Amino acid sequence: MDHAELRREIDDLASSFLFLEKKEIDIPTAGQLLNQLEGITAHAESLGAVEARRLAGGLTRLLEKVVLEAVDAATGFGLFEQGIVLLQSVADGYCNAGRYDGSIDGFMAALAACLGVPPEPAPGCEAASPPEDATATPPAGDRKEPVRDESLLRDFITEGLEYISEIELNILNLEQEPDNKDYINAIFRPFHSVKGVASFLNLDAIRTLAHDLETLLDKARNEALAVTPELIDLILDGSDTLKAMIGRLRDELEGREATEVIDTSDLVRRIKLAEQGAEQPKQPKKLGAILVEEGVINEEELQKALERSQLPPPRKLGQTLITEGMASPKDVSRALRKQAQQVTDSNTIRVDIKKLDDLIDMVGELVITQSMIRQSETLQALGDRKLLRDISQLASITSELQRSSTVLRMVPIKQTFQRMARLVRDLSKNSGKLVNVVTVGEDTEIDRNMVEEIYNPLVHMIRNAVDHGMEMPEERIQAGKPERGTIKLKAFHRGGNIVIEISDDGRGLNREKIRQKAIKNGLISPSDNLTDQEINRLILLPGFSTAEKVTDISGRGVGMDVVKQAVEKLRGKMDIQSVEGKGTTFVTGFPLTMAIIDGMIVKVGNERYILPTVAIRQLIRPDRAAYNCIVGEAETINVMGRLLPLVRLHRLFDIEPAHANPWEATLVVMEGEKRSKCLLVDEILGKEEVVIKNLGESLKRIKGVSGGAILGDGNVGLILDPEGLFEMAEAN
Amino acid sequence: MSVNKNLKILIVDDFATMRKVIRNLLKQGGFENVVEAEDGAAALKMLKSQQVDFIISDWNMPNMSGLDLLKAVRADDELKALPFLMVTAEALKDNVVAAVKAGVSNYIVKPFTAEVLNEKIEKIVKSLAA
Repeated sequence: MDHAELRREIDDLASSFLFLEKKEIDIPTAGQLLNQLEGITAHAESLGAVEARRLAGGLTRLLEKVVLEAVDAATGFGLFEQGIVLLQSVADGYCNAGRYDGSIDGFMAALAACLGVPPEPAPGCEAASPPEDATATPPAGDRKEPVRDESLLRDFITEGLEYISEIELNILNLEQEPDNKDYINAIFRPFHSVKGVASFLNLDAIRTLAHDLETLLDKARNEALAVTPELIDLILDGSDTLKAMIGRLRDELEGREATEVIDTSDLVRRIKLAEQGAEQPKQPKKLGAILVEEGVINEEELQKALERSQLPPPRKLGQTLITEGMASPKDVSRALRKQAQQVTDSNTIRVDIKKLDDLIDMVGELVITQSMIRQSETLQALGDRKLLRDISQLASITSELQRSSTVLRMVPIKQTFQRMARLVRDLSKNSGKLVNVVTVGEDTEIDRNMVEEIYNPLVHMIRNAVDHGMEMPEERIQAGKPERGTIKLKAFHRGGNIVIEISDDGRGLNREKIRQKAIKNGLISPSDNLTDQEINRLILLPGFSTAEKVTDISGRGVGMDVVKQAVEKLRGKMDIQSVEGKGTTFVTGFPLTMAIIDGMIVKVGNERYILPTVAIRQLIRPDRAAYNCIVGEAETINVMGRLLPLVRLHRLFDIEPAHANPWEATLVVMEGEKRSKCLLVDEILGKEEVVIKNLGESLKRIKGVSGGAILGDGNVGLILDPEGLFEMAEAN
Repeated sequence: MSVNKNLKILIVDDFATMRKVIRNLLKQGGFENVVEAEDGAAALKMLKSQQVDFIISDWNMPNMSGLDLLKAVRADDELKALPFLMVTAEALKDNVVAAVKAGVSNYIVKPFTAEVLNEKIEKIVKSLAA
């Protein structure tokens, strides 16, 4: 996409507008124009044509208002025409000079005045503009016209009640799975339908209540509100009230004496409160309840004390308890403190994740910029001690800032564990096994962006544990184990990683059979002397379980190589511990965040590259004798008895190296998904934690490179992807 | 020029009472050739098997929503020119704009009268005839 293409798109937009027959934008045309504007906005953005982007954005908002009839059609038409002409001249400017010298501010101001929003709203603020409300309630009077059709009313009563019982059913499901959007939707829809019909039948009270409940659910659906037990109670109360209202309607219709009018004001107030995202005013626990909970007094004593407190002279419960000798002053004051804590418990705020991501990105930029300043030669040459001291102070503050901002995005692993626990329940139910889930360390935190990523490999391990590790109840009893098995999910932090363990008390791995099978599949030779640990790890190899179904082996196997790859893709590690007959534990370690990588900086010629430390097996300076080169074949290096292919990094990237002979250079033994190779580099410069920078859309598909980073000295280094490098080497 | 009252209109809504309401309103405007479907999927099936001239569809339905139905209709070479009137609860900006972008012929906000419904139908049919 270049400026000329943008210009063409804008011309297309102009011509679809010009060919309008009447001086009026009808709905289908508006749709076409909106779609064209969407493309123009995106392309102007990517080309950095700010004026074009602003204009296209403004025109989009204008059209939306025209569509919603919030702007008079003729005014809208005129403004739109002006906007297109301006947009064309902006595109001309960019085409010819790479910039636009005029000003669009006058037009934008006129547009803003027409739209009734402040000029140039900050991104994300548009949704907050009030005019939506203006259209939300249809103008009263002209549309309302009582439809008092008895047969319709009867239909509504029957169908409405049916729908509400459907709500009740689904709400119970929602309580089990609060984050399941399908359930929220299934509850939303009946309210919505009831509201729609009620509005035609002029049943205002029902319409209003259904509308309020619907709005509430809509917020829950859009994650503006959390599905809490309080919310569920509120919805249940709401549907009960609706049911009562419809029931009352029926009584009325059948000429039965109508029950008293149902008062919805309290309910409506609660709904409004919940809607504002304000937590339901939590009723702080009563002092008595806390004391009972703590075992200081029992229910009976509490009742007695409460009665006494009512007697004149009125005293507080705490006073009564102390004077009657039922509780010590210390107990009461501790309980009072606890009560006070409950009220002030909500020391958290909800923040849009996008804002956090932006903040963290900007902090990353800040760290890089300060490091560039610090390493600036001009600055060093100044030799001003004070300045240097201040700059190093700046450095420590920025890195502290980076640490604390990364923590912001951390969330407890709890939700993932809960999903996994549910999965275990479902799986065990299907297979007829009895399994308990125990979780440890649910509060261990991990980057929110990692949560989704680690879920899939973990699910696979869980499946394996239930399907293959766990025995059927009879088998467990025979083995002298409790009928009900246990799967333990455990998380903890270790050295900048989160470690997640999934252990079962099932049958464990049968190492002899694994060994036999590995020999059969040619993965090892019969003479290989492997440790237990090495044998366990065999099931992670590709080609271990592809030959036949694993049911003949006691347990694991299907696709464990895929799990291992997925874990490694996230720069994680995995391991297996197992005792036959006692159970198996999968241990996986993941970095806490994907935003930072632990890298080894290597130099080739004048270039620096970053190799992910997790993929590095060892660094060597080989003897001349270790180097083999057979004509027409690949070069190899003998690394402790293993012949590994040599990959010349300088050749892959076409650089003049300082050393071309392996015995003069340094070799990095790298592990790929299925194989290891030696990477030839000039020298190792050191280890550094670097912030990963995306290379952008156009450089996304460059083989062997997974990203870029700014090094401590301000230079840019490319982060290499071992697997990609191997593929490049193999293609040559 | 008046609109052909013999137009075959398909009403799509999961709430039977609602379909009846719209049917009654259409009848007041003189449109009596009406068929019904209970959701987008059923409507699509019906559109494949019989000739329909005009679609009036609700937004929120199980199985296939009104928006998905609209998209499916516009993506089908045989159906893409069909007039499509979307019924929405309020003029929620996101909903309406999404429908407009997907090529809806017009939209109508609940509750509406027979006159408003008539007006919208005439407007759509006339702009097609022009």
